[in-house]
Amino acid sequence: MASADKPINTDVPEKDVFALHFLQSLSNLRRQNTFNSPEKTNDRVKKIKKAAYVSMARAAGGTSRLWSRALLRRAAKETNKVVRFSRRKKRVTWLRRRSNRRDPVEEEEKEAERLRNLVPGGGAMETSKLIEETAYYIKCLSMQVKVMQCLVDGLSPK
Amino acid sequence: MSSRRSSRLRQSGSSRISDDQIADLVTKLQHLIPELRRRRSDKVSASKVLQETCNYIRNLHREVNDLSDRLSELLASTDDNSAEAAIIRSLLNY
Repeated sequence: MASADKPINTDVPEKDVFALHFLQSLSNLRRQNTFNSPEKTNDRVKKIKKAAYVSMARAAGGTSRLWSRALLRRAAKETNKVVRFSRRKKRVTWLRRRSNRRDPVEEEEKEAERLRNLVPGGGAMETSKLIEETAYYIKCLSMQVKVMQCLVDGLSPK
Repeated sequence: MSSRRSSRLRQSGSSRISDDQIADLVTKLQHLIPELRRRRSDKVSASKVLQETCNYIRNLHREVNDLSDRLSELLASTDDNSAEAAIIRSLLNY
């Protein structure tokens, strides 16, 4: 981690891994009778969405990534209300000094702030770590979307 | 809990991340985002990359939401046996 020459690895697992984890989550939901019971549609959708994120986090390597760890932790203590990501420690930015004029670095930091709110666990990450985690997060997210799209296509009436 | 703390220390206490590394990471990010990959130019500023990244992530979240909606309808309306077969078939065909 300290070496400046070490290449950042952003390879994600194959699509099968994501599909497998999502299927497992779905069959768990099936066992809990989520799909047959006369439940409110909203609850069902929320459960599926949660299953999607949790299975994605597991497929991505569980706790080995900061964002997946944050996702799993959030899912574990989530009730029915929305949980906001809060900053737990003072983050380190790549600004060595705070400048009062609007220079490009400040613009970057503003965008980085927005990114922090979107990536799970981003609030506690240093900016360079944030970018690395974001790359991985984006790849996994698009994998998950592909898996779900395949499912929808397969289940839709011809 | 201490492992969490030490991993945080490892990030901020180690030698300063060089600007080159950050630029490299930003470039990697740029290649991942379809919007920016099409442009193929190296002159996209870091803040633009971050901005497009935010938009892209928001889009992906929205797609997950939409797909969850549709999955919820589909899974509720199909009966057990055909649903399982359809699921396995569709995932094996990608």
